[in-house]
Amino acid sequence: MTTRTLDLGRPLPSLPRNPFGPLATLARRRLHLAVRTPRELLVPMLTPILFALVIAPALKQALHTSSSYEAYVATGTIGLLIPLNTMFAGLSVLVERESGAQRELLAAPVPRPLLVLGNLIVAFAVTALQIAVLIGVARARGIHFDVAGPGLLWFLGGAALFTVGMYGAAESLAARVPSAEEYISRVPAIAIVPWFLAGSLFPITALPTFLTWFARFLPLTHALALARYGLLNDPSGLHNIWRMHSVTEMAALSLLVVGVFAAALTAAGIRLFTRSAVG
Amino acid sequence: MDTAIEVRQLVKTYAGDVRAVRDISFDVHRGEVFGLLGPNGAGKSTTVGMLTTTVAPSSGAARLAGFDVVRSPLEARSVSSVVFQEAVVDRALTGRRHLDIHARLWRVAPSEAGDRIAKLSETLGLADLLDRPVGTYSGGERRRLEIARALVSRPSVLFLDEPTVGLDPRVRAELLDLIAGLRDRLETTILLTTHYLDEAERLCDRLAIMHEGKIVALDTPHALRADLGERILELRVRDQPAAALDRLRDSGLAGRDAFAVGTTITIPLHDHDDTVATAEIERSGIAPAAITTREPTLDDVYLRLTGGQLRDAA
Repeated sequence: MTTRTLDLGRPLPSLPRNPFGPLATLARRRLHLAVRTPRELLVPMLTPILFALVIAPALKQALHTSSSYEAYVATGTIGLLIPLNTMFAGLSVLVERESGAQRELLAAPVPRPLLVLGNLIVAFAVTALQIAVLIGVARARGIHFDVAGPGLLWFLGGAALFTVGMYGAAESLAARVPSAEEYISRVPAIAIVPWFLAGSLFPITALPTFLTWFARFLPLTHALALARYGLLNDPSGLHNIWRMHSVTEMAALSLLVVGVFAAALTAAGIRLFTRSAVG
Repeated sequence: MDTAIEVRQLVKTYAGDVRAVRDISFDVHRGEVFGLLGPNGAGKSTTVGMLTTTVAPSSGAARLAGFDVVRSPLEARSVSSVVFQEAVVDRALTGRRHLDIHARLWRVAPSEAGDRIAKLSETLGLADLLDRPVGTYSGGERRRLEIARALVSRPSVLFLDEPTVGLDPRVRAELLDLIAGLRDRLETTILLTTHYLDEAERLCDRLAIMHEGKIVALDTPHALRADLGERILELRVRDQPAAALDRLRDSGLAGRDAFAVGTTITIPLHDHDDTVATAEIERSGIAPAAITTREPTLDDVYLRLTGGQLRDAA
């Protein structure tokens, strides 16, 4: 359908547009809501901590592997925590649309992409806090990490970009589905299934060949390979993806993959949100 | 007179060729309370949606305080506020937080926002509630908070979308008092949608009656009623109301503005006397089940224009 607009012939005064004030307000609002809903903070942490502290030691004992396997799984659980937390954050956007103040925000004189970015800031901060807690709890449980300065940056970059991308996926899904029930029914396919295929509990080379190839295309595989390189000084995940010699080159390529994922999903999330917001 | 809202040939057609709003045009003057009256599905909320930039017009144009809602949506939103039909609040946040967020998003200076929030909460009887989560508010308290929130930014244009729907009669009466008080105190232009005739009549300077996406009448409540004269005769027949109406038209008692809904025939009397009209009905051989005469209401105006019962449709 084409839209025809009539010109009513008036000058158009401009509004000062400094987006940071409204963005801070939107993020603060989202944070207040999250703080007043503790389940949003705690529930996504339960499964990863269970994996890191209970299942990984149990696997180690049953399989008689070395203690590094615990660290391997503890790092892998970051790949479960990020999708679960961001999908939970997306769910709260949907709840906000159904029974919260979203329409008031849509009527506010702020660019609508800021509504998505305000939520992203809080989802990002909460996820960072949860990862820090997970690593802290794992260390307290005696799991050893081998962190070197530059490696840590690869981990931080990969985790940050993957969080941004997954939040974009959550916003996209929230904009597309009509109800919380439908949203929740799709979360396992998006947040959990890829985790089993992305080298979280075992290297992707242990999968059947076609699944190994499939896993190489998953952004989570790249984020986890960067995490293990950063936190355990273990580049084997990067080798399994790229089969190259230069670790730095492989890490850069994986970071690029996760970066493209983040940019594409964020753009999709903003576009779908703004389109769904206007009837 | 300044124009606060300009609507020109506005059209909204949804997918499947659902024509929600069909080529409507009207102006609302600054400081005026303007009502959009009509049943659910008449196009009122879609019109408000287009004016508040949450619904994209298919064609036509609209301006708020001179700002085009399609070309300058941020500016249009910056001069307006909305009180929505349903509760649009974050139940976990306090009332004060809601007012503060609105003030910040509408760029009210922090020093001024505090004063405005204090005054509004006092005026609207919210002062003791502000630090409680909104989830603990009653329906009436929540609605007052939403009105206070909309006023924090001192909008040039305030949209009240069915503001009293779902409230019990006492709270509704209180809220109507409140809105009437705002109308007297503020210079804000108010566009009110409602399907309650008493509400429209009490609050609005002018009314547009919408039906199936079109404006079928637009004038002051008094002028709309005046079209039907000073007295109405309501006649209930046992059967064949259409035939009875034809006979009354042939007799000259009923004019073109007489109408039948169900078995009730409504006849604007204009120059006819009540007793003469009753005698004329007896002469025409119609056996009425009941006859009453009364002053015309907006309900009669709506029925004449649409042939539907407003309250039933709503």
